[in-house]
Formats: sequence, structure tokens, C-alpha cells
Amino acid sequence: MAANGLTLSKYITLISSDGFEFVVMRDAVMISPMIKSMLDPQSAFKEAVSGRCSFDEINGIVLEKVVEYFHYWYKNREREDVPDMDIPVELCLELLMAADYLGLDKQT
Amino acid sequence: MSNRQDRPARQIRGPQSALTDFLASQNISANRIRADAEARRNAAAAANNQGGSNGTANTANGATATGDVDDDNEEEAAEVQVPSAARSRAEAQKRKRQAEAIDKIQKSKAFKRRKRNNEDSDSDDLARAIFQEKSAPLPGQMENCEICDKRFTVTPYSRAGPNGGLLCSKCSKDFAKDDEGVNKLKKKKSGPAGASRRKLQSRILDGMYAVGAKSLMTLCIETLAKNIELASDLGDLPPFLVDRIARILSKRRLLTSQCLDLFLQPNTEDVTVYDGSYLTANDYIRIFQTASRLKNLKLRNAVQFKDEVMMYLISRNLVLHSIHLHGANLLSEDSWNAYLEAKGKTLQSLQVYYTDKHFGNGVVATLKDRCPKLKRLKIAHNQKVTNDGVEHIAKLEGLEHLSLKLLQPKATEPYIKVVQGIGQGLCTLSLKDVPDLDDRVLDAIHEHCRSLSKLRITDSEVMTDAGFARLFKDWANKPLLFVDFQKCRHVDSTKPRENPHMVGLCSDGFRALMKHSGKRLRYLNIHACRHISREAFEEMFSDTEVYPDLLELEISFCENVTDFVVGSIFRSCPKLKELNVFGCMKVKEVRVPKGKILVGVPNAVGMIIEGSDNDSVPQAGMPCTRSDTANDKINGATKQD
Repeated sequence: MAANGLTLSKYITLISSDGFEFVVMRDAVMISPMIKSMLDPQSAFKEAVSGRCSFDEINGIVLEKVVEYFHYWYKNREREDVPDMDIPVELCLELLMAADYLGLDKQT
Repeated sequence: MSNRQDRPARQIRGPQSALTDFLASQNISANRIRADAEARRNAAAAANNQGGSNGTANTANGATATGDVDDDNEEEAAEVQVPSAARSRAEAQKRKRQAEAIDKIQKSKAFKRRKRNNEDSDSDDLARAIFQEKSAPLPGQMENCEICDKRFTVTPYSRAGPNGGLLCSKCSKDFAKDDEGVNKLKKKKSGPAGASRRKLQSRILDGMYAVGAKSLMTLCIETLAKNIELASDLGDLPPFLVDRIARILSKRRLLTSQCLDLFLQPNTEDVTVYDGSYLTANDYIRIFQTASRLKNLKLRNAVQFKDEVMMYLISRNLVLHSIHLHGANLLSEDSWNAYLEAKGKTLQSLQVYYTDKHFGNGVVATLKDRCPKLKRLKIAHNQKVTNDGVEHIAKLEGLEHLSLKLLQPKATEPYIKVVQGIGQGLCTLSLKDVPDLDDRVLDAIHEHCRSLSKLRITDSEVMTDAGFARLFKDWANKPLLFVDFQKCRHVDSTKPRENPHMVGLCSDGFRALMKHSGKRLRYLNIHACRHISREAFEEMFSDTEVYPDLLELEISFCENVTDFVVGSIFRSCPKLKELNVFGCMKVKEVRVPKGKILVGVPNAVGMIIEGSDNDSVPQAGMPCTRSDTANDKINGATKQD
């Protein structure tokens, strides 16, 4: 992981509350203003230095879906009329809370 | 002999219909007749030859009786041989015909078309496939099923099996079942080309257009709304999320008694029901039972909000700050009076829509004494409040937002009194559907209003251009943010274009409006103000004018809007999101800058968004248009730059 802040790694790691690690493209997680500010090189948070963000409130199953969304968003960011991503009904509320926590609200 | 029995008879016999019989007889394919006839002819010819040789053999027989057995054997062999020779000859002919047919197919248009579609497949194979399709048994004939080998009648609906043969009805049903899953997947992928365009355009008109994926939150909320019956509790979602869920549920008309509970918590302060049409009086009572700290109540389509509900509300120890009631037309005037008498003191906002005849002058008259804190009053689609009621509004001194849409005939004087009485403090003044109000109202607004930010006067048929110009000229009010003068125009069905007295918002009024408020204006609606001239538009949206905050502009049915005007608008309004030009028939071909939406162009497409026009920068560059006259003007304009 790039620690000096000059050369940012292309990938970052997200860690769920139960210890699952997801390696995600940096550009893809930038949709979340929350993670974006965590990783802001200017802020010099621990996360920004190490490139690892751990979420104590989000479990592995939900975080996996969130990561899937990051990539889904990244893949479709320039397209019109994007097919909706499948959200499992049983995860819906938890995912909604996670989305709120991560600030995945704006249509950008 | 057997051949004749095989062939379907032309005569009508038994239950077979005349048509079926006729078709069947027509459809004995020429191939088969020819093949049959030829085979017969060959057989006959071969038999003749055989007969000849037989004769000689017989004569020889008489001469040499010893070789009888051998000859008999020979004869048998010949008899066996002859049909096979005929058959092979017929088959050779058949093959030749097939080759000819394939050759013909290879030259045909359909073949070329198909070939273009799948380039990689071998052309001979393709031709053979087409040939086989063509030579498949025709309707009415009998055929053996490819799967179960049963004999069945071919119909136009008979399905082709996996190897090209036909299937009987039972096997084709089973086959269809197996095939269904695959087909469905295929359809999903290829289907939505046309549908998606319509969906996209509908989203543009709804103002929901966006590039890229939906936000995760939206996706979740939509999924939740689809499965709302499974949810038992929304948990600790933030209020704005709960509100979004409520909106989406109402949009789909899913808000029932059961799911109302999801929105009712003992500590909720705001209850918003966007569509209460499925709720009963008891449900409304339940709202007040559960949400004991309720402050803001907003109910739309609340038909069952009846007297008993209001009585219950009065009996409870609730202190409401705002009431927004839409469509509660069963509520009597007595309950309104009782409620305002009991709880009016704390009321800051009262919005009443579609209450038919039960919210009248009497209620309005008492607002002054009963609701001293009232800041916002909206009475829309009301059939009972008349000019007298409007006069009472003039006494509500604390009022900041006033919005009226009354159905009774309106006179100018009461409105002047209102503006004189409370104009000083008003932030919002909205007078909808006021055909008889004249310039004196505008003058009163000019004189008294100092803090307006939203002004709406619609459907006026008497106000004149001079009045509008006077209103905005040297007006001490700060620039407006929201202006709506839709349908303020001269109405004459016989001479619609002549406007000798300059009735409605015309060129001068429009110029004065843009000069006064243009710098801060966010929303402008001049729908159907048809007498604003092209010159006025061009002047107000010239290259030196910039309207930095304007987000939405509605200029539908302004006849003089041209391609050049539209292009100039995009140039002058850098933040503009949506421009409506329905019925502007002179708008023909405009290039729309990236991220902007032009709605209602009179062509088959109807609306345009363009993402390709990156290079034509809307601000400082040239307006995007293609018409020649306009181009000349642009050149002039850019030279000045």
C-alpha cells in the first residue's frame, strides 16, 4: 500500500465488522463522500495513509453488496438508462442503513 | 393403385370441410406429384423393357427348356433390379432438382439478407437450410412427428423440432416448455430498445433524468417499496429517508392501513401521507393515537378525514403547527370552526385543498382572531370562499405566504385590500386563475410589497403590458426568485394575434421583469404570454446578459421564440437545466448543450437532450443553432467579443 501520499495506490481495502476484506478500485469508491473524505490524502487520516478502511457497523454480507454497487456504479457512470442492480429483499433495510451511513444518496 | 389411395381425394367426404379438402388437394406439392408420376413412368418403362426381354426369354425358353431354372432366377433378379434402378434414377433427378433449387436460393434476395446477418456461416449450408425450410411439409399434409414418430396433420402452427423436422401438437407443447426459459432471457436482452426510449423520455418529463446508475439508496428504497408488506418496522431510519419511502409508496398507491404503521412512531413529529385514499377514518384517528408529539400534519387525498376524526383531534392533547389537508371534502364547516376555536392559537400554517363547499368565508373571517400566529395560508380549489372572504385575509397581519386559487368570481378590489393590508410582510403571493384582476393589483403590489420572493399571477385577461412594466420599474422589492405569469394574455378567439390594448405580459413587461429580477431569478414561467416579441427575447437574452441563477424556464406557446432565441437562452443562462418550448413552432433545429434539457420541440422526437455538444460552450461562445439568419447574427455577436 502506498503510504507516502504521493503515489496513491489504485486499489484500497474495505474491511467489514466480521473481518472480511474487500479490495476495491479507488475510483469506484469515490461515489461515497464518506469514504472519499476518509481517504483524502490531505486529511492524513489513518485510513488515508494505509489505504484500509474498516467499518465496524457493516457486516460482510452487506459490505459485499455495497462493494458490488461500487463497481456497478463505476461501470455505468457514463451510461444512460442503466439497468437496476438487484437488491436482495432480506438485505434491503440493512443496505439502506449502510447506504445512508456511506452517503450513497446523490445521483452523480 | 396404392398411390391413388395415398393421395388425399378431392371429393368432399365425411367431416372434412370443403376448404380443408380444397387446400389439401391444392397442397399436394408439385414435387411429390412429379416424383410420383416419374417413378410410375420409369417403373412402367422398365416393365416394358422387361416384358420385351421376357418375351425373348420365353421364346428362348421354348427352345432351351434346360436353362429354365436359371432363367427364372435371372428374371427374379431383374425384377428386383428394375425398381431400384428407377428409384435411383428418380433420386438422381431429385438431387439435381435440389441442386437447382439451392442454386436459385443462393441467388435470391432473402438468402443475401440472411447471409449478411450471419457472415461466418457457410453459404452452402445456409442455402441448404433455406431449401429444407421451403420443402418442409405444407399445412394439411400428414407427417411423422420428429420426436415421438406419431403421424399427425401439419397445420400452419406446427413447430419445427430441434433437427428441422415438424412436431406433433403434444411434443411441440413439451418442446415449447423446455424452450421457454431460453427465449425469455433472449427477449429481455433484445426487447427494450423502443421501450427504454419511451421510459427515458418519460423520466425527462418527470424531471428525473440523470446519467449513470441510480444511487444505492434509491435502489434500496425501490426494493423496499416493492416488498413493503414484508417489512414490520423501519427501524431508526433518518426522517428524510422515511419521507422518501412514504413518497415512493404513495406514488405506487401502496399506502394502506397496514403500512401506515411503519410511519407512526410515538416520537414522530411529522406525519406525511402523500396518498391517503386507502385509509379509513379509523386510520386517521390512529395517527393521533400513536404520534403523540405530532407537530406537522400533511395529508393528501384524505377523503375519509371526516368530522369524527376532527372531533377526535380536538379532544386530544396535540399541538399542531401546520395542517395541510388535501381532498377532505367530507369535513363540515362546523368542524373547521370547532378545531380553529380550540387549537388555532398555535397554528402557523394552514393549507386547504379541494374541500369543495365546506371551507367558506366564515372560517376565513375568524382566522384573524383564532390563529394569531398564522404565517402561511393556502386555499386552493375552493368553491365557497368569495370576494368577501378574501377581504378578511387583509387583516391577517402576520401572514408571510399567501396562495389562493378560488373558483368563485373574483373582483379586483378585495385583492387590492389584501395587498395593501399585508403586502408589506409577504414573501409569497400566489393568485391562480384570476381572469378579472386588473392593473390596480399590480400597482398595489408595486407600492406595498417589499419582501416578495415568489410572485404568481396566472390566467389574467385584463392586466396590461403597461401594468407589468410599471410593477417592475423602480420597484423597491428585492429581485424575485420565482415568477409565474403563465397565461396572462389577450384572449380573442377570432383575432388571436391582434392585441391593440397590449393586454397581458408583452414585450415591455417582460423587459422590465428581466431587468428587475433577472440577476437572482431561479424559475420563470411565461407560458402562453404570446405577445412577447422576438426582439424582446433577443434583447433580454443577448450576449451581454447573464442570468446566473436561472434553473428552469417555461416559454411554451410564446409564438415568437425562434431557434436563435433558444440558442441565446442557453448562452445567457449557464445554470439552466430545463427549457420548455411546447408549441413554439418556430423552433426547429437547435443544438442543445450538454446536460441541458429542451422539452417540447415540435418534431417527432418531442424532446432533446444532447451530450455530444461539448465543444459548443454555452456561456461565452455562440448560441447553438443552425439557421442561416441566426448565424449571421451570431457572427455579428462574436465579432464584438
